[in-house]
Amino acid sequence: MKPLDTILHVEDDPSIQAVARVALETVGGFNVTGCDDGQHALNVLATFRPDLILMDVMMPNMDGPTTLKHLQQDEALASIPVVFMTARIQPAEVEQYRALGAVDVLEKPFDPMTLAERLRAVWENVHGDT
Amino acid sequence: MATPDASLVQQQLANLKESYKHRLAEDLVDLERCTTAMLAEQGNREMMASLCQSLHRIAGSAGTFGWTEVGAACREMEQQTQIWLKRADDVAPEALEMIRARLRALIGHMHKAASDGDTPPRIDFDAGSEYTDAAVTVVLLGLSTHEGEHMADALKGFGYAIRFAAEAGDILSMSPAPDVLVADQNVLTMSLRAYISRDDVPTALIQLNRLDTFERRLHAVRCGAQGYFTYPIDIPRLEARLRRLATRHTQDPYRVVIVDDDVELSEHFRLVLQAAGIDSRVVNTPSMVVAALHDHMPDILIVDINMPGCSGPELAQVLRLDDDWLKVPIIYLSAETDQDRRTVALRQAGDDFLAKPISDLDLINAVKVRSQRSRQLSEALERDGLTGLMKHAALKEQLDIEVSRAQRSGEPASVVMIDIDHFKSVNDTYGHATGDYVIRLLANLLRRRLRKVDTVGRYGGEEFVAILPNCDAENAARIFNEIRMNFSQLDCVSGEQSFRVSFSAGIATTASSGEGSVLLEIADQAMYQAKTGGRNKVCVSEPTD
Repeated sequence: MKPLDTILHVEDDPSIQAVARVALETVGGFNVTGCDDGQHALNVLATFRPDLILMDVMMPNMDGPTTLKHLQQDEALASIPVVFMTARIQPAEVEQYRALGAVDVLEKPFDPMTLAERLRAVWENVHGDT
Repeated sequence: MATPDASLVQQQLANLKESYKHRLAEDLVDLERCTTAMLAEQGNREMMASLCQSLHRIAGSAGTFGWTEVGAACREMEQQTQIWLKRADDVAPEALEMIRARLRALIGHMHKAASDGDTPPRIDFDAGSEYTDAAVTVVLLGLSTHEGEHMADALKGFGYAIRFAAEAGDILSMSPAPDVLVADQNVLTMSLRAYISRDDVPTALIQLNRLDTFERRLHAVRCGAQGYFTYPIDIPRLEARLRRLATRHTQDPYRVVIVDDDVELSEHFRLVLQAAGIDSRVVNTPSMVVAALHDHMPDILIVDINMPGCSGPELAQVLRLDDDWLKVPIIYLSAETDQDRRTVALRQAGDDFLAKPISDLDLINAVKVRSQRSRQLSEALERDGLTGLMKHAALKEQLDIEVSRAQRSGEPASVVMIDIDHFKSVNDTYGHATGDYVIRLLANLLRRRLRKVDTVGRYGGEEFVAILPNCDAENAARIFNEIRMNFSQLDCVSGEQSFRVSFSAGIATTASSGEGSVLLEIADQAMYQAKTGGRNKVCVSEPTD
């Protein structure tokens, strides 16, 4: 299994973007590219293929679930695992996002010291224990 | 895997935290302005949507930067605004006012944090680590010099901050307004009565009078009085009333359990009550109620009358099978207007009706009034009639709770046994009424001088027990020596005579034993040592091992 390396982080809140960058780059040692919303992410994805996409649910312009639908319609992008992050984590909502095709749903606020570990666990899950 | 430089990470996070703090403070001020604008411009849904979006953003980020409680508060407000956005009708201004008040509280909290340093403090209105509460201010007005000084001395002993006012006009200019005003009936002017009755003036009025007639008491109520005493003033009773008035604003939030199969509506009720400071729990399935009651220990239970599987009155009857829940009032929430059917429901079980649909404000008021009454009654049941302290049985229960808590936390807890010296001779010399007076005097002093986390109970005749969590023997001895000296200097009055009384105390800590009943025995032995060692003493038991 290829280790998790490149991550696209989609998030409209600059404070969260900044702390996630520390959590993923400094703590996790990943290569992170940041985007402000779904539309911006689709633009970036035209030329960039991250290992994993970490995405906020509620964003202006284009929200997380809409962005995910766009990704799924594009053959080249459909296989990239998407992890949602949301402040409103109700069991029903988690199920709903999983049904849409998200590989996992993480809760906000998150702990910057363990975020990278959690994504690594998600990555290992996606690829099975082969 | 990369090995991050821990100190570098910490430094980066600290910088982010610092800049987030400023942004959060600004955001909250913006939101508060937004609610003000919404109040001026009713029904602006665009502003509501933007408020909701901002609250959502803070709810998602604040916790990451250590502002967990700010985040949680914003999440609740976000959920509230979500519900408003879904509904077609306009939001009641009172509901928006509540959101604004909450935002203001959060802004105040941020300011406090800014002046205290970097670490986000817990939102804690009741830190209570001191051995005395912040002094309650009492102003005495229109008392004779003799009465005034006597009362001031006695109340100071209980830790109150006392001020004198020469005339009614002085009160109007006091800032901050006193917590309690004790005034002779003759000096209450119209303007003072008007001032006291204002909603924004927190001062409670206790009226003093020469005569005790129904007409005078009625007049006092019409003046806005919340206490009525005749000369000569019974100080322990006055102190008990002062305490009740002063703690009214600071006590634990009321707790409510709501049983309703309508998930959305009950969640709406919960959020409305939460915003008003009422701690509520929602149960959507009647069979889950008992667990929720055990867990939440509510002051009142609100039950929807029509639920599939089990009606409200049926549920009420199920709960009334159990002695544990007899004292919790059950209020039906119902659209039922037929008086006969209401009567049938109340005859089966249950105590009262609230009509559906109910406005947010009516719901809050209805719950507050009923919770307050319920709490007063249940306290009266568990407490000793003479002193208002916990009774023997409740005290032993509390002791077991504190002992096991101490064992879990590893922090010592102390148990103190207190006995009034030569109490029999007080009774024999001055009569039982005076004996009761002395008991209440000590009870009130103990209650005033100990922390909120401490428990004081009346163990028997003239015997008291105090339980002090997170307190070792040395500290317990220090505190009780202070109280002992204070008590022995209080003048007890019986008719024309005045005399002084002392007590002896024994202290045991959880270092000696892990069982409540054994600790009480050890404390009792130490108290006996104090008695044989000359009385008016505090003795600490020697550790047995």
